[in-house]
Amino acid sequence: MSSKFGMAGGIPERRVRPIWDAVDSRQFKAALKLSTALLSKYPKSPYAIALKGLILERMGKPDEALSVCIDAKERLYSNDVVIVDDLTLSTLQIVFARLDRLDLATSCYEYACGKFPNNVELMMGLFNCYVREYSFVKQQQTAIKMYKVVGEERFLLWAVCSIQLQVLSGTGGEKLLLLAEGLLKKHVASHSLHEPEALLLYISILEQQAKYGDALEILSGKLGSLLIIEVDRLRIQGRLLARLCDHPAAAAIFKKILEICPDDWECFLNYLGCLLEDDSRWCSGTVIDQLHPSNYVSCKLSHLNSEKFDSLIENASHFMQKIQIEDNTDFVRCPYLANLEIERRKRLYGKIEDGRLSDSLLKYFCRFGHMSCFTTDVEMFLQVMSHEEKMTLVEKFNKSCESSTTSQAKQLGQSITIFKIQEAIGTMASLSSDELECMASHMADIYCKNLPLSKDLDLQENMHGEDLLSMSSNVLVQLFWRTRNIGYLLEAIMVLEFGLTIRRHVWQYKILLLHLYSHLSAFPLAYEWYKTLDIKNILLETAVHHILPQMLVSPLWVDLSDILKDYLRFMDDHFRESADLTFLAYRHRTYTKAIEFVQFKERLQHSHQYLIARLEAAILQLKQKADNIEEEESILESFDFGIQLLELSSDVTLKSLTFNDDIRSRPWWTPAPDKNLLLEPSEGKSICRRYYLQKQAEESGANVRKVIERRCLLPRLIYLSIVSASSSIKESVDSNGSISDGKNSLELKSLLERYARSLGRSFTEAVEEIVEVSNGQKSAEVFGSNLVDWLNFAVFFNAWKLGSHEVVSSLGDECRSSSWILVSSLIEKFTVGKLKSMKPLIQSPGIDIPLLVQIVTEPMAWHSIVLQSCIRSILPSGKKKKKSGQTDNSNSSLFQEIHSSVQSLCDMMEEVTQWLNEQLNTPEEENLNVLLSYLPGRGCNQGPGKVLQVLEALASSSTDLEHGDRISKALCSWRSNDILRKIVIGQRNVLSEFHHICKSKLPVLHSLRQQY
Amino acid sequence: MTTIRRFCCNDLLRFSPVNFDHLTETFNMSFYMTYLARWPDYFHVAEGPGNQIMGYIMGKVEGQGESWHGHVTAVTVAPEYRRQQLAKKLMNMLEDISDKIDKAYFVDLFVRASNTPAIKMYEKLGYVIYRRVLRYYSGEEDGLDMRKALSRDVEKKSIIPLKRPVTPDELEYD
Repeated sequence: MSSKFGMAGGIPERRVRPIWDAVDSRQFKAALKLSTALLSKYPKSPYAIALKGLILERMGKPDEALSVCIDAKERLYSNDVVIVDDLTLSTLQIVFARLDRLDLATSCYEYACGKFPNNVELMMGLFNCYVREYSFVKQQQTAIKMYKVVGEERFLLWAVCSIQLQVLSGTGGEKLLLLAEGLLKKHVASHSLHEPEALLLYISILEQQAKYGDALEILSGKLGSLLIIEVDRLRIQGRLLARLCDHPAAAAIFKKILEICPDDWECFLNYLGCLLEDDSRWCSGTVIDQLHPSNYVSCKLSHLNSEKFDSLIENASHFMQKIQIEDNTDFVRCPYLANLEIERRKRLYGKIEDGRLSDSLLKYFCRFGHMSCFTTDVEMFLQVMSHEEKMTLVEKFNKSCESSTTSQAKQLGQSITIFKIQEAIGTMASLSSDELECMASHMADIYCKNLPLSKDLDLQENMHGEDLLSMSSNVLVQLFWRTRNIGYLLEAIMVLEFGLTIRRHVWQYKILLLHLYSHLSAFPLAYEWYKTLDIKNILLETAVHHILPQMLVSPLWVDLSDILKDYLRFMDDHFRESADLTFLAYRHRTYTKAIEFVQFKERLQHSHQYLIARLEAAILQLKQKADNIEEEESILESFDFGIQLLELSSDVTLKSLTFNDDIRSRPWWTPAPDKNLLLEPSEGKSICRRYYLQKQAEESGANVRKVIERRCLLPRLIYLSIVSASSSIKESVDSNGSISDGKNSLELKSLLERYARSLGRSFTEAVEEIVEVSNGQKSAEVFGSNLVDWLNFAVFFNAWKLGSHEVVSSLGDECRSSSWILVSSLIEKFTVGKLKSMKPLIQSPGIDIPLLVQIVTEPMAWHSIVLQSCIRSILPSGKKKKKSGQTDNSNSSLFQEIHSSVQSLCDMMEEVTQWLNEQLNTPEEENLNVLLSYLPGRGCNQGPGKVLQVLEALASSSTDLEHGDRISKALCSWRSNDILRKIVIGQRNVLSEFHHICKSKLPVLHSLRQQY
Repeated sequence: MTTIRRFCCNDLLRFSPVNFDHLTETFNMSFYMTYLARWPDYFHVAEGPGNQIMGYIMGKVEGQGESWHGHVTAVTVAPEYRRQQLAKKLMNMLEDISDKIDKAYFVDLFVRASNTPAIKMYEKLGYVIYRRVLRYYSGEEDGLDMRKALSRDVEKKSIIPLKRPVTPDELEYD
């Protein structure tokens, strides 16, 4: 900041510098002292006052800071101030921004600019204020003013960016683009343009108006030379020509690019598209979802006649062959992959191709089959082939592999590719369990045989054949899915742990492992591996889905809270600093990035995960405080009694949600955070990953929206339930005879209606559903996977009914309070049912424990809050113990219902606690033996353990000579029992955390029972 | 099979397979965005078929007089796309921009002294170890400052190795 010093508001630099130095070194007390001294000399100086405000804010005194800065602001406005400098204003802006009062900073600058018009420095400050506030119109006006004062190109472009942002955000009509174009045209005529970024912006303004011809003209004129890298210019030119539907010219340009960059696949697709006059790459909405691009190259069936089609395809084919010859290096794949695309197009056109696509694939395999990206390269071509064709192809690959005389490493690569292709086309399902077992062992075998290849590799380098262990583990999971034999699941884990013992940096193993551990409810182990992935900053947005969903239903609240806090801190920090970075882009004249930054911030702000995290962070606090109604109320108060979160569920918010998580790295069996195939029967299903990914994109949006809506309603429902419960008791005790439903009751009802709708029912249907399930007329299956949501509904329905006089027909003539019984019986049914059917955790992977955790921490907890509210109203403060004859109403049926409900909740909590006690009392060794018994493997012909056997044989025979010192040492350290013990301990920790939660809930329930 | 283009913000949401790598640092947002805002020509991404992110390079240009140079801040390639000279392609691109557009004297980069595979690769690309920076990485590990002279440095003065190691506070630029 030193450059800014000088005479700030008339204060000499030497007096100010020590204060800034103290602030910079976080010596706030010293800074405050110096500031007081400064103020005694310059009591009226806005700058001196602003500095004090800044120090106070840093000291964590926001209120004092605000009032001091408002004082400084008023001084600025007073007439006796002759100088208003940017240093004072920017100091104030720093404090106001940190206090979330951007409006105050803006008004300071607005005032200053009004007082000193034509001061560009101040106007830049004002522009910055509007950037922070995302006020694009005002940005535009300010930039234009600056442009008029000094005539600089950059200010004009600031204005143009601001116009484009208005149009992109939908707040400004398209006519504005015409204005931007006019401004640019005029400026170019008199001053030309001097920055490549300015040209890019100009072109994008024209493109946005579909004026491709004009854009081309500018690009090919003098201004085009601003783009120094030829390929960059050609790419734009090709795109513009294609959009103009000048296909031959566009194809010629793309051809030119390919001559310069023969490996540019994207460019080849553009070339071929234009050649065949297929504009689907340009016109299909042109908004390609950059985040979840489909592997499939979309193309239109060609309208060309057969002869023309043939000749054009022939051209393309010749051209690519020419490139193949010219650039015959081992790494350039595009000209070869191009053959496949050409064959695919022919096939789509309807040409009889007699296995030419297969042949091309085989050729491609022979050349590049050893590369680990082979499968990703060709996946899209496999999609157009029939099952038989694919199977024959795999056979051909196998044969080619057997007969090839290439190096060991390349052969290994080819074998891996064949497995990967089999995985990709879903052949696993057609194999018998024995065959799958053989396959998994075979993979491990190849891994072991090739391990010597990695002998001299550095620990940092990927080892040869690492993919084999993840694939082998995947096959074992498939076997588990099919046979339900937990041994396979354990073996799948061991294989990955084995791999990580050899090299601890393989993230692919870690991700698979953390999901497998989650499925075993060994959440601490899952979290441990997650942490080693070092997922931070923007990776949180794309990868936290690997851990967050399962932690939300686990009892590990401390870890969950950390995960949520870290994620939210990252997002909120970004939102806070994003505008500053946008302004940085403006200042450095990187106009396209200024626009991009604004759009990116929008995208993150609408992230569905961000919304979920905010909701769940609030709900977690409510769960944690549910044993004390006063504390629960103060949490609710901090969210404006749930209204804040309720507002998040608006249609506009839900419709504009973005999905930024990168789900490609998820295991095959859980392709989306809300999907776990292992919980479903396998039924010989063939798992085609692509299918699920596509489905996920289509369905998940709708599902997630519903889930989010329900969670948004929850805090408000809890609040209104507390109010409803207490007012109903008061009404009952006071008998004031009022029968009209209050405002709260009506709101509660309308929220319940929304809640029911999100479950796919009307309010009445939902009530009927819970009644019928509770009395056994309907099976619990109607609740599907939303059991907890349904139980919550029952709890809030009961609370509503307490305070409402409305008659719900589905409850028939049953007494008014029978919804108490309804809630109790539902909770009992599912808790007892679960406890009875549950095997010890060690033997039952899946969702039993998470489900039980949810029942205890949600419906049971919310119901306990309702009960606490009732009893608090019956026993006003100070009267803790029930005394005989305290109330005449103690015999009323309502009070009896409450009493039985407390009793029932108490019983349930005790049963769960008891069950957990039993589990925790099982000795560790006993559990270890259970796990060991799942892995008979050694010496057995069938069943799990064979892959492990292969790996353990390797471990026991490894030598330094064969595998090198590092690997051999790592192999020596392998102990499979250590892993099993880790699982036992991990699960135990989960049970013990859960036990802790249940136990903490018992005292309040006991005291309720005693009190009433 | 590489389409190399300017890196954009949305790529940050797609680069996890690259950044899961334990040696690839995921910086904070202001770091990436500052690079994008100030040196957009030095931040490129390579995309493969199916729009897969293969790897990326980020860098900048800075310095004064004869120390005006390009700097490679990070270059990284996803495991699936290794061993096909992609890093070389990305490095050449940055060198080209430093050389032709910005007329810099040299390109430099820092690498962990223990990262032998990377050091070997940079040497193959023509970089030499210019000096050792003591405890450059989190105050623990030494860094090596490697340089490659560009056409403007006719006498290759910029890459004459320093005889003694330096400490991080002696560095001219961060």
